[in-house]
Amino acid sequence: MYSVLPRIGASLIFLLFCSGLQAAMPTLVVYTYDSFTSDWGPGPQVKTAFEANCSCKLELVGLSDGVAMLNRLKLEGANSRADILLGIDTNLTADARASSLFETHGLSLRNSALPADWQDDLFLPYDFGYFAFVYNRESLTNPPTSLRQLVEDADGPTLLIQDPRTSTPGLGLLLWMKKVFGDDADAAWARLAPRIVTVSKGWSEAYGLFLKGEADMVLSYTTSPAYHIIAEQDARYAAAAFDEGHYQQIEVAGMVRTSKQKQLARDFLEFMISEEFQKIIPTTNWMFPAVAGETLLPAEFGELIDPSPALLLDEQQVAMQRKTWVDEWLEVMSR
Amino acid sequence: MSRALPAGLVLAVLALLVLAPMAGLLQLSGLPGYEAADLRFWDNAYLRRVLYFSIWQALLSTLLSVLPAILVARAFAMRGQLPLRRLLLGLFALPLVVPAVVAVMAVVSVYGSDGWLPLGRSLYGINGILLAHVFFNLPLAVRLLLPQWQAIPQHHWQLGEQLGMSTWQGWRFIEWPVLREALPGVLLLVFMLCLTSFAVVLTLGGGPRSTTLEVAIYQSLRFDFNPARAVVLALLQLGLCILVATLTLKLHRLPEVEIAESAPVRPTSALRKWLDLGLILAATLYVGLPLLSMLIDALDGPILKVITDVRLWRALTNTLLIGLSAAAVSVFAGWLLLRYSAGLAHCGRPTVARLVDLAGSIVYVVPPLVIGTGMFVLLSSHVDVFDWVYPIVIAINALMGLPFVIRCLGPAMRRNHARYHNLCLSLELQGWNRFRYLEWPLLRQPLGLAIALVTVLAMGDLGVIALFGSTQTSTLALLIYQQLGAYMIPQATVTALLLLLLCLGVFALLERLIGGAGNVAH
Repeated sequence: MYSVLPRIGASLIFLLFCSGLQAAMPTLVVYTYDSFTSDWGPGPQVKTAFEANCSCKLELVGLSDGVAMLNRLKLEGANSRADILLGIDTNLTADARASSLFETHGLSLRNSALPADWQDDLFLPYDFGYFAFVYNRESLTNPPTSLRQLVEDADGPTLLIQDPRTSTPGLGLLLWMKKVFGDDADAAWARLAPRIVTVSKGWSEAYGLFLKGEADMVLSYTTSPAYHIIAEQDARYAAAAFDEGHYQQIEVAGMVRTSKQKQLARDFLEFMISEEFQKIIPTTNWMFPAVAGETLLPAEFGELIDPSPALLLDEQQVAMQRKTWVDEWLEVMSR
Repeated sequence: MSRALPAGLVLAVLALLVLAPMAGLLQLSGLPGYEAADLRFWDNAYLRRVLYFSIWQALLSTLLSVLPAILVARAFAMRGQLPLRRLLLGLFALPLVVPAVVAVMAVVSVYGSDGWLPLGRSLYGINGILLAHVFFNLPLAVRLLLPQWQAIPQHHWQLGEQLGMSTWQGWRFIEWPVLREALPGVLLLVFMLCLTSFAVVLTLGGGPRSTTLEVAIYQSLRFDFNPARAVVLALLQLGLCILVATLTLKLHRLPEVEIAESAPVRPTSALRKWLDLGLILAATLYVGLPLLSMLIDALDGPILKVITDVRLWRALTNTLLIGLSAAAVSVFAGWLLLRYSAGLAHCGRPTVARLVDLAGSIVYVVPPLVIGTGMFVLLSSHVDVFDWVYPIVIAINALMGLPFVIRCLGPAMRRNHARYHNLCLSLELQGWNRFRYLEWPLLRQPLGLAIALVTVLAMGDLGVIALFGSTQTSTLALLIYQQLGAYMIPQATVTALLLLLLCLGVFALLERLIGGAGNVAH
């Protein structure tokens, strides 16, 4: 019979040693949106993979969305704990650039999967997607083939969209309409309005209502059907391919200027555009990886529509005009 | 005065919690990079429209919720022996805790184009907003008004019978005077709830035509990042509620007669009995159908997968922790305020008493987003706000629960004070003994309702936790929201059902433990 006390003592010392080790490790703080950090988002896998090699601790702080992240960083100023901001899109980059809170990353996106060349000193993309109207193949047999057709056919499908004041896809559609119809966008919205069942606060309300059968189509992403195919083995849902092309959303990350561990931050950005990180993206964030690679995409993504040509407005133009455009939209939609 | 000091402290904390964040936000607008507030409201057609629509939908929703609630509460009061009465009343506490996103889905399950009672496209617009708001608020108003009938002394009914009063006369001379004490507060509370409604209005409203002040505040603070305008709009919303409060208080009368605890026992005709049962049935169906649709959706969902997830249990623990703590803080603060205002009303200063109650209630309409962002501005340079998630979330939820505490406890505490205060003085019954021997036995019932209500309210909160919560500090409501945002709608319906069942359990348990057995509002 031997005493258990020495064993407990040894375990305690071991534990202390471990926690001591942990305290000595640097912590990299990444501000991101909470669907990134959620249990089914990319967060947990990204954390494990990065921590395996960095001898550091990765702390992902989930905030409600890109706007919230940027606002918080602005409010915190030099006191911010953040080293990296991950998850703003190109509609916010102009604003973020103007804040001068970000540092040149000094990296280049090799082997880019983006439709256009990426040249940006401050922000590096990690994924992208295209907005699209998603429908149920069984209930809508002849979906419109262009945005123009969708707008002009008065007997066309009914729609669920999101509010550009509160939602990213909502703003995406506003810009998409601007890109396609230019100065006639107001008239196009007026024609579309009678078929818009409702304009929801966020993506989830509209998508939920769509699944309940409240309208023929919902504003979402070209990748949405992939979720239903992969996670639910349900092939009923499809995105309608439009001739004019689809408006693009590019999600980027940047290094915070006041970060005290810039090398580690740069390592993270490097890791972010590596294959290991990129292959996590498709089935957790349900977006396209920013880096091209045969093995990165699950086979089911091959069944998705071709969204080309990719449409994108210049970030400066969006930053300057956004408010006016939203006001115009409010005016038309409130008639 | 020994009662003024704690109450004054509570009021000071309230003012600090509401005004300091606003000041913090205003101070930002002077900094470079921030826009100054645009104060020319009446030049702005958009804001005028928003203001008009906010008031209109809130007034209509309030009337449609509270007027039928009077009839339903009366029917419940008259049918004290109804089987399943306790369960039905428990059911009536549930809509309040359903997160708005889930409630919208539930309403659509019933009235949507594939629903049980399809309204088609006409659901979207004012119809949908009213349907959802009545679903939320009618049951709440029933719960808050029901105890008033209990306050009618037995001998009033007997006297009425001897005098041969008709039903109308009985209502006019026996019931209405008692109802008048609670009705203004309930009207104001429901008005505030409808005025600050956000996701329901935007989603079921059909489009930006249905924009409320709350949406405009959100837009200013998030989309335009113009903190000064957000503060101005929040103050406008506050002012609006004070105006409505002043109007509803015109209706308010403190009962002049001595009041005793009793249950209405009165002979009624068979016709009346069936009418009451019909009313109860109609209200139960109205409240129950959307809940039933949630149940059916959830039973169809991946139950096992959801409940075997350890993260669900973590969220559940957080939910309970936040709910119970917020209720404890809220009820304690409310108790101190009401004790003071009851004393004031008793010694001939009812106006001041009303102002104290009003101050406790009105803070509800300051959006959590404004308080939260303002707090962040003030605190972030001194502490890491996210280390303080629980205290902050609990404090704001306690603040939001205060108007409910005041509605539940207010009338009972005032009655109690009016009746027994002099007796207590002559017996020198005070402090703990007064609570133990006088207040606890007489007030435990409304106290139980208040604690139960605020607990489930905080458990269902999304507005505050969405600002500060993270994966580690997730609650069930936040989990539902995250699942909905990640295509996991079947999972979200299961989580929503669990939240509901948990709330039902906690509500029943608290009401029974604190309120005492065998007397739900009766």
